Amino acid sequence: MVRAYSQEHTFKHPWERVTSASWRKFADPENKRVLSHILEVDTLNRKLDSESGKLYTTRAITIHAPGPWFVRKIVGQDICHCVESTVVDGQSRSMQLATRNISMQKFIEVEEKIRYDPHPENPTEWTICKQETSIRIRPFSALASMAEKIEQRCVDRFQQNSAKGREVMERICKYLEAESRGIKI
Amino acid sequence: MGFLRSEKKAPTPASTSPCANLRAAYDKCFNRWYSEKFLKGQWDKEECVSEWNKYRDCLSQHLDDKHLARFLEAEGIGNMIHQVDASSPKGAPT
Repeated sequence: MVRAYSQEHTFKHPWERVTSASWRKFADPENKRVLSHILEVDTLNRKLDSESGKLYTTRAITIHAPGPWFVRKIVGQDICHCVESTVVDGQSRSMQLATRNISMQKFIEVEEKIRYDPHPENPTEWTICKQETSIRIRPFSALASMAEKIEQRCVDRFQQNSAKGREVMERICKYLEAESRGIKI
Repeated sequence: MGFLRSEKKAPTPASTSPCANLRAAYDKCFNRWYSEKFLKGQWDKEECVSEWNKYRDCLSQHLDDKHLARFLEAEGIGNMIHQVDASSPKGAPT
């Protein structure tokens, strides 16, 4: 069974500022305290297509995901590696991120897709963020009998963490806004 | 992301990456380039090349330790991994 959910959020900041904030989301030390489940984010590859104005990035994200003791016992590890691929289209102003786990795949598959576009109602000032997440416990894995419970738990966890992520994004946007006006906060 | 996190507040392990400083230098350079050049339509060239090379060299030396090379190879992602394999004297990932 796949559990999927989607979320939408409007940032009252221009697309340029929001996508700048997205790149900084995991790096800032203050945000690291809030997003403490993110251990490491490394850029593995980056390619600029100067013809089309598209920027391609692949990053490795290491996440601390300990879980309840019985899951830990089965899975045997609490560090999860994910790969995030991003395309920024500078010409049409869109940013798309897709993140997938590449470890623990025997047990669980998680895919998260995020899109940042100029808000149709106010394209120069606002940005719309659409997020889709799907979570699937592999059938026949040692976790299958508990799949429903674990999937629900994952969804809860994801929603909590994405609320934190939005909070961090809002804060960086405010910071960048102040910076662009030459004010230090 | 961060699924399966426990209710208890786990202590946050500090960044142990030996490449943390080089990564910070590259990220800083990239963020500036992104805001000041890319977003203004200046796509003609990538900058931060020396920062990137230093960071990437460090990463390629330590990637094996982090078991990332194996994962990425399985996924067939990234030309970088092939470059890493070719240039790394430490041999193939496990």
